[in-house]
Amino acid sequence: MSEQSKPENKGTSILPRYVALLLIGIVIGSAVGYLVESSAVESERSIVSQLQDQVAQLQAVKEYSIGCTFPLTGDLAFIGTQFQSVAEMAVADLNNQTARYGLKVRFNLVIYDDKTTPEVALTNVQTLAQAGVKVVIGPAGSSQIKAIKSYADDNKIMIISPSSTVPDLAIPDDYIFRTTGSDVGQSQALATLISGQGMKKVLVFARDDDYGVAFGQFFKKDFEALNGTVVIMNYAVGQTDYSSEVAQLSTKVKNEGFDSVLMITYDTDGANILNHAKDDATLSSIRWFSSEGVQGTPQLTDPAIAAFIQKVKLYGTRPVFKENPLLLNFKAEFKAETGLDAGVFTDKVYDSVFLAGWSIIAGGYDGAAIKEALPKVAQNYYGASGWCILDGNGDRLIQDYAVWTVVPKVGGGFEYQDVASYSSGSLVWG
Amino acid sequence: MIAELLNTLWVSSIYSLMSVPLTLSYRVTKIINFAHISFITYGAYVAVIFSLLLPLGLIETSLIVFLVVAVLAVLNHMLVLSPLMSRGTNVVTLMIASMGSWIFLKYLLYALVSSAQKVLRVDLFYVTPNIAIPSTIIIGEFRVSTFLLISNAMNIMTLLFLYVFLMKVKLGRAMRAVADNAGLAQITGISKNAVLNATWILTGGIAALGGLAWSLSYYASPELGDNVILQVFACSVIGGLSSIPLTFAGAFVIAFAENILIAWLHTYLGLDVSFRPFISFLTLLLVILIRPPAGGGGGLPYRFKLPFRGDKKRSTS
Repeated sequence: MSEQSKPENKGTSILPRYVALLLIGIVIGSAVGYLVESSAVESERSIVSQLQDQVAQLQAVKEYSIGCTFPLTGDLAFIGTQFQSVAEMAVADLNNQTARYGLKVRFNLVIYDDKTTPEVALTNVQTLAQAGVKVVIGPAGSSQIKAIKSYADDNKIMIISPSSTVPDLAIPDDYIFRTTGSDVGQSQALATLISGQGMKKVLVFARDDDYGVAFGQFFKKDFEALNGTVVIMNYAVGQTDYSSEVAQLSTKVKNEGFDSVLMITYDTDGANILNHAKDDATLSSIRWFSSEGVQGTPQLTDPAIAAFIQKVKLYGTRPVFKENPLLLNFKAEFKAETGLDAGVFTDKVYDSVFLAGWSIIAGGYDGAAIKEALPKVAQNYYGASGWCILDGNGDRLIQDYAVWTVVPKVGGGFEYQDVASYSSGSLVWG
Repeated sequence: MIAELLNTLWVSSIYSLMSVPLTLSYRVTKIINFAHISFITYGAYVAVIFSLLLPLGLIETSLIVFLVVAVLAVLNHMLVLSPLMSRGTNVVTLMIASMGSWIFLKYLLYALVSSAQKVLRVDLFYVTPNIAIPSTIIIGEFRVSTFLLISNAMNIMTLLFLYVFLMKVKLGRAMRAVADNAGLAQITGISKNAVLNATWILTGGIAALGGLAWSLSYYASPELGDNVILQVFACSVIGGLSSIPLTFAGAFVIAFAENILIAWLHTYLGLDVSFRPFISFLTLLLVILIRPPAGGGGGLPYRFKLPFRGDKKRSTS
């Protein structure tokens, strides 16, 4: 080969190499570029997905559970079954209300039967707590509240009782809140009523339990402050029949010259006592008064017992805001739903569900937060039971009372009727 | 005192209606049947429900109550007791099984009452049957409670019926034969199953009448049977779980203790009337110690018996 051809060979041998290198570079670059682009897209997709999830969460309806422990069986089954119906009605109304306001929350009830016993009430609260429930409505009885208080305080489970009235449960800074007025107020109402009716010497015939004993003692203090005389006679509860007790009551009234009897009972024992008292000449010749325990019991509208009630002009008191349009709506709704007349404390159950729900919305689903939020929510809440403002002990601050009796009904039979109201120390008839 | 006496007569007749069938059932079947308590409660509620649905008088209501709860008692036997008995289960296990029936029936009733309350839209806790009966009638110069007369009439008629049935009717005599010796009775051709079914029919039906009588006088509630369980068993134990006349007497003893005796103790010894359930329980305890029921313990008063002369000789031979 000559030297003159060498430069031409150099030029033609480099080009293919450059082309090859270019092609390789393009391929590598494309691959890298693809990978980089994919991860960027993936990253963008991930961010978009997260944003979408957050939006979905914001739009999703949050569901919260409200626990209930009611006496569906046992001595208070009569009102316990009403409590269940009212709570179901209330949670449906609450869910409708929050939906109307555009809130993405929904409440459901978990209802357990506590058999009107403290032991089962405690078991129910423990079970609900283990299931993650932070607020419980009930139980009905003060002795049951005492049984669960320690557990509720230790485990930060909010308890809202619609019917416990014993004064010694008025304890500040605990997890027990009560939406019905304490018996301290009702004993004042009764003392004012009975004194205003001209009675001077009252025999208090009261259950020998937390409710009856405390109520009797507070009434004694209030009535004696109005220059009256009070003797307390407690009777053992859980009997099948109270004829012996009524016989002893009659003997005491006759021997010691009482002009009236104040009965502090529940529904079944109260009805049984009146059933026996109607056949006793001594007890039929004096005045009778009652607390709220027996109010609403169907047996008191039995013609024989109702006639006795009329004869002795039996008046009782019960915690209710008489002139409350929301109460009238509630009673009408309950009657339409169940066919029954709303019993005592059912308005408190209704409001308790609403207070629980709004406290959860305000504070979050945590026991301590609900405890913090509830008094503030209650401060501004006017419901079926009226203003639900709570005092420093977590108990209802403002409680009016109605004076009830049993009267003939138009068309035959008898019915309960409120004949007066007591508010801020004044009794107004009509 | 007259009020306490009348109340004693009233309550004793109801306790008798509730406890005599328990004695009868144990006498024939040798089973202490705790589901008996549920029969009482179901009797009250059958009366309440039927009287709400149909315009019934007392006699029709009594017949319906008897029949419905009699069927329930037979079903309890067929589904719970009979299968266990056919496997040779001992009486203690049968008693425990009857406790299961009692609890099951009680809470079944709660569910039924709650459902019925929603359907019928009336209160069904602490109600009385809707039977038009005046609460009092006037006899001469006296105003007497109608329910006192009704419960005593039901009790006396039931006892007379049982006397005639057990003494004069073939099936009743067969029941007595099975009660005395079931094996021997079967050898003579008596059908033990027929006798047991007849026993449960009578037991359930009469217990239900006790529930009806109680609900007319006081009220029906799902806790009715549980509230009287102590008194019912006390009356039967006084009857030795074997004698119907003594059970009837036991009903009077318990009613007397709860009304008149406690009044005397309160008046003369200052004992609080809240000790009333204690009186019933003390009576039950004393009877068990002095005269153990069902022949247990060898008789009266067994542990104070002097040793028989030949006892030592027999023990060494």
